[in-house]
Amino acid sequence: MSKNKLCVSALALSLMLGFGPARAAEFKIGAEIPLSGNLARVGTAMNEGIQVAAEMFNKKNGKHTVKILTVDDESSPAKAVGAVEKLAADGVVAYTGGYGSNIIGPASEAAEKLGKVYITSGGVATELTKRNLKTFFRINSSEGYARALMGMFNEVGIKSVAVVYSTKEATEEVAKMLQTGLGPKGVKVTMHAFDPATNDFKPIIHKIKLQDRPDAIAMIGYENDYVGILRAAKVLKPDIKTIAGVWSLATSKMAAEFPDLMENVSGTSTLSFPAEFTTPEAKEFAETYQKMFNKAPDYLGIFGYVQSKLLFEAVARAADAGTMDKGGIATEMRKTQSDTVIGKVRFDESGDNPEFTHRMGQHQAGKVVLVWPAEAATGKVKYPAVPW
Amino acid sequence: MLELTLQSLFSGVLSGAYYALIALGLALVFGTMRVINLAHGELVLLGAYISYTAEEKLGLDPLASLPLALAVVVGTAILVYYLVSLIKKDRELNSLILTFGIGVILTNAVLMIWSADIHSATTPWYHDATILFDTLFAMQAELVFAGFGIALVGAVWWWLEKSWYGRALRAVASNRDAAKLMGVNPQLTEILSFAVSGVLATVAGIAIYTAKVIQPAMGHHLTVKAFIITVLAGMGSVPGVLLGAVLLGIVESLTVTMASSALQELAGMVLFLVVLLLMPSGLFGRAKRRG
Repeated sequence: MSKNKLCVSALALSLMLGFGPARAAEFKIGAEIPLSGNLARVGTAMNEGIQVAAEMFNKKNGKHTVKILTVDDESSPAKAVGAVEKLAADGVVAYTGGYGSNIIGPASEAAEKLGKVYITSGGVATELTKRNLKTFFRINSSEGYARALMGMFNEVGIKSVAVVYSTKEATEEVAKMLQTGLGPKGVKVTMHAFDPATNDFKPIIHKIKLQDRPDAIAMIGYENDYVGILRAAKVLKPDIKTIAGVWSLATSKMAAEFPDLMENVSGTSTLSFPAEFTTPEAKEFAETYQKMFNKAPDYLGIFGYVQSKLLFEAVARAADAGTMDKGGIATEMRKTQSDTVIGKVRFDESGDNPEFTHRMGQHQAGKVVLVWPAEAATGKVKYPAVPW
Repeated sequence: MLELTLQSLFSGVLSGAYYALIALGLALVFGTMRVINLAHGELVLLGAYISYTAEEKLGLDPLASLPLALAVVVGTAILVYYLVSLIKKDRELNSLILTFGIGVILTNAVLMIWSADIHSATTPWYHDATILFDTLFAMQAELVFAGFGIALVGAVWWWLEKSWYGRALRAVASNRDAAKLMGVNPQLTEILSFAVSGVLATVAGIAIYTAKVIQPAMGHHLTVKAFIITVLAGMGSVPGVLLGAVLLGIVESLTVTMASSALQELAGMVLFLVVLLLMPSGLFGRAKRRG
């Protein structure tokens, strides 16, 4: 056999076996995420979704696989940057994870400098997508949360709202979106900022009770804030018609841990509880999650799953196209048009998902019923109704 | 406005009593050993988590979990003492680094054992409202632990002033060598101060678990709060701790009512700085020197 024939035969054989630019490979993906520190709970929940996405992708893709390298950023911006750099040195091709806008900001800038895609659902501040980064992507945003809260308030006809919000970046932003969104519609909005270290909410609720006298209280904070606000409200019993909030509120965890506080409370939610998974993908996700972690998935896990799945698919497409080293993952991410378990996802030039609008769930008799929008509702909103 | 202000003052006093519970243990150890135990907040947290486990797994009322929590927290406090006592040089400075490290280890141990979820007592009685004079509102848990806080501060003060061991403890704090010559065992009294600090941390932990919410990362914040109160009071002053804590609670609460809750922590820090500027020894520092 001549030398040329040998080369051609070898090339043909390698193509038949799937080698060459599109050969099967294991890609390392970095998960920079808080597993300790004050964001450990949310980081851990998101991380579970990431692990489920990897498990499902590796089982299903058949050609490429992913290996998750996880580094705990300890809820610290400086350590998140260090984690991104360490993971790059370990050979990751992209990042999934991140929680807290103030942490995601510097971490994603470090990823941009390294030319690697960074995707998250843990930072909703608008500032994140105003930085003209080419490799930053996220699947949710403040607007999506504010739209859901306003949608439910408008539907039940609320005329005045007292917004109680943490002064952290993302919570303050959602609160101000409520103010600017509801104000022009004739709804009277009063604002009550609180320091994240606050643990006695009675003085705020007392002010709301005696001075504002609103139809509704909107809580824009985190789980410990909700418990504090609801306990204070239960003691002072302001004459309101409903109380609602945003993330980490209308969840099975809150229903199980604080049954005395949650009845009739509403919050943004991707899921009813008990979860009704209708599509084959959602069912598979729930089964895999249950198998891996011996519990039902929560919404943070779902977000972690969706962001990671979209990233893995983009990595696989870029690998097949042979563009991995030429910014191909970011290019493939921008081609995303996917109907996911949190709804439609596509990315605009800034890396944001303009399709994102949350749903509202309400705690009703130990369950979480989706009450807004009508097309996603699994039950009717109870109004007026409060937890006391 | 009067109703708002009265409720604000009442909430401030309740918060202050609970702050005093947290701070007193730190103040006691500093007063006797000149050691700032930066793991004190984590001891409080440990007490809270033991109470949570006792309620969750054994169905015990948070107060009934006190003996179990005391055993674990006091044991841990004595272990901290043992580690601190190994420091032979520059104890004041090196103990800061050591206890900070112990705090980090304890936080991560709590995280590994109990996960990062938030928890709070589920016994409804503690969260029911009590209304005094038709206008003052409080959770029953707040009243119970405000009472505990004031009683414990009084008991510790009485013990330090009147009991032999209390006087021995003050003698060691004042002059270790002279106390030794007078027949006082310094090691035993130092262990005692850590043990009493552990008792106070346990009660503070159960108070927090019962009235508020616990999570693994809060230990550091509790230590900072305790440190502020201890300095505000005058390092080592027991009555000063109660006064400083109540003052801090009232300033924070009035700031929320008169201005904004967003300024609450800032107001506390401003109070701290003003007191330090005008009275560098703290509110009770000078009085203590005279005594």
